[in-house]
Amino acid sequence: MMTLFGSALTWLLLASLLGLLNSLKFHAPGLLASQPYLSYGRVHAAQSASFLYGFAVPAAVGLGLWLLCRLGRTTLAGPTIVFVGAIVWNTAVTLGVAGILCGGSTGYEYFEMPAWCVPILFLAYLMIGLCGLFTFHQRQPERLYPSQWFVVGALFWFPWIFSTAALTLLCMPARGVLQATTAWWYARNFDTVFLGFAGLASAFYFIPKLLGRPLHSHYLAAFAFWTLALFGGFGGMPESAPLPLWIISLSLVGTVLTVVPILAIVLNFYETVRHHLNMLDADHVLRFTYVGLFFWLIASVQQIIGALPSVSGITDFTWFGAAQKELVHYGFFAMTLSGALYYIVPSLLKLPTSAWCPKLLRVHFWFMLLGVLISYLSLLVAGIGQGVLLANTGNSFIEVMLRTMMPLRMSTLGDLLVVVSIAVFLANFAGMVMQSCRQCWLARKEAL
Amino acid sequence: MNGGPLLFVGLLATMAFSWTGFILAPQIQLGSMGQTNTVPIGDASPLTYPLAQSGEAHAGAEIYRANGCAACHTEMVCATNLGTDVFRGWGLRRSVAEDYLLQQPVMLGSQRIGPDLANFGRRADTNGIYLRLYDPRLITPKSVMPAYRFLFETHKIGLFPSRDAIVLPDQDAPTAGYEIIPKPQARALAAYLLNLRQDGYLFEAPPPPQPKTNAVSTNAVAAKPAK
Repeated sequence: MMTLFGSALTWLLLASLLGLLNSLKFHAPGLLASQPYLSYGRVHAAQSASFLYGFAVPAAVGLGLWLLCRLGRTTLAGPTIVFVGAIVWNTAVTLGVAGILCGGSTGYEYFEMPAWCVPILFLAYLMIGLCGLFTFHQRQPERLYPSQWFVVGALFWFPWIFSTAALTLLCMPARGVLQATTAWWYARNFDTVFLGFAGLASAFYFIPKLLGRPLHSHYLAAFAFWTLALFGGFGGMPESAPLPLWIISLSLVGTVLTVVPILAIVLNFYETVRHHLNMLDADHVLRFTYVGLFFWLIASVQQIIGALPSVSGITDFTWFGAAQKELVHYGFFAMTLSGALYYIVPSLLKLPTSAWCPKLLRVHFWFMLLGVLISYLSLLVAGIGQGVLLANTGNSFIEVMLRTMMPLRMSTLGDLLVVVSIAVFLANFAGMVMQSCRQCWLARKEAL
Repeated sequence: MNGGPLLFVGLLATMAFSWTGFILAPQIQLGSMGQTNTVPIGDASPLTYPLAQSGEAHAGAEIYRANGCAACHTEMVCATNLGTDVFRGWGLRRSVAEDYLLQQPVMLGSQRIGPDLANFGRRADTNGIYLRLYDPRLITPKSVMPAYRFLFETHKIGLFPSRDAIVLPDQDAPTAGYEIIPKPQARALAAYLLNLRQDGYLFEAPPPPQPKTNAVSTNAVAAKPAK
């Protein structure tokens, strides 16, 4: 499991470095443009693939396995298979990202991994995912806790959407515009359901546990779980997509209905932490989780607002969508997962939680928070500005783009802070691993 | 909610719900779509639409895909009530499913950092495309698009200048005795881009009402409505 987490963090750093590189290109479009491997379009795809497949999936699965062991009071089934699966997965991601930089991207957003890489990824996922299911199966017979539903949901959801996309985009490509609907559907399912389930599983576990209070309502959590599964993946089509209107209307309805799980989850957490919400004194794991949840709320609400016809006419195809993605990926998922890792890693290495370097931890938290905020807000301003200015036919496209450059360049600062925060986190993580190794070594020496 | 099987069945059902809505049902409606006839305007006769792309344009689609052009360019025109695309000269009408029937892969994109390209073939010419790829700022000063110099090569002029050499303005011309030739990738990409035209009026996409605005087109020749 440490392999999963360690590699995930390395990929996260690489993804944010690539993001920073592309952000820098808005300062000077000539930057590295003569290198085909590092041109904007390829780096964009590589960044997306290394975040989604390098970081998000292994981190979500690693968290899921740990929660299933913890909540089921059992040990991991088939640790060797998980280890081999993680190695295969990471090899495939490495080759895939290299392939994308060499021009092998499939051209579908969120599903950029080259076609030859997809079956290997799927196989590696099956190795890990099946061990997760066996772990779930050998749990102590007790009432299931909400985090377990969310984890199992995420574990199932990913292979289903991944195989659907692989079949209808690569094996037997659907005709014409159906490829685009599949890609949009896949992206929405990945962000809202898969990442949502994984991040919320962590929040449902850590918030009650670290506060020492029971979760407000299991029924409300169940309600949120099923409605999120039902509506979360039911959308993703842009308002002006070249599709029959019923598909677009259906997508709009599904997106708006996600307000139901959002309200249920917010209410549940609000009731749980009420009177105990002290951000400054809070445990650092809780602090990351609170901030992650808060960003999740904003991103989900923005997704609904952006889908409303009166708004989407302005914001579709602008930086507005990129801002929302940044918030889901870094603000919600990476933030929540960081918090979880601050708890999980010491427990896996049998070290006390105080073994983290507190200075680095604080730097990580504040740099990440500030970085995500700066990036998000400047992209949001750029997106809304772009949309509003483009709505006036008197403004030529290039004028509008030049006016969005200022906020875009501001967002580079945010990207830089995020990169630093993740590098700091990785350093802290490496420090923990070294401490654990030293302890092992000392213990062995004493035994001799 | 205590059993694993119940959880599994419930998840499968919710998954199937969204899968039916967005994968299966569109496939049933659009999967068997074929070429159709355009709606004749005036006394013109209906034409088959869309027409197949040339082999070179297909090869160009691969260059478009490999370099991630869709990261900055969409290939769809919004309806007039949802955007100003038509008034900007990006298209004659909104894009519909029929327009993408013969494309592979379909790369609609999701963000516009550059202008929409759904009808780029209607407003571009070959040398213009080469100039934009070689140095976008030759055509649009201050453009934020990166130059794709790696799609070109500099040759020493042989006995005669090549007829494929791109025509550059004086200040950007290569040193005397040399010329810039587009590589096969650039040629394929240009063929693909010139092929991007959604100019057939269809039953579901009739010509829009004529705009009465002071429209400024992007940075290309303004598109003229078809006769």
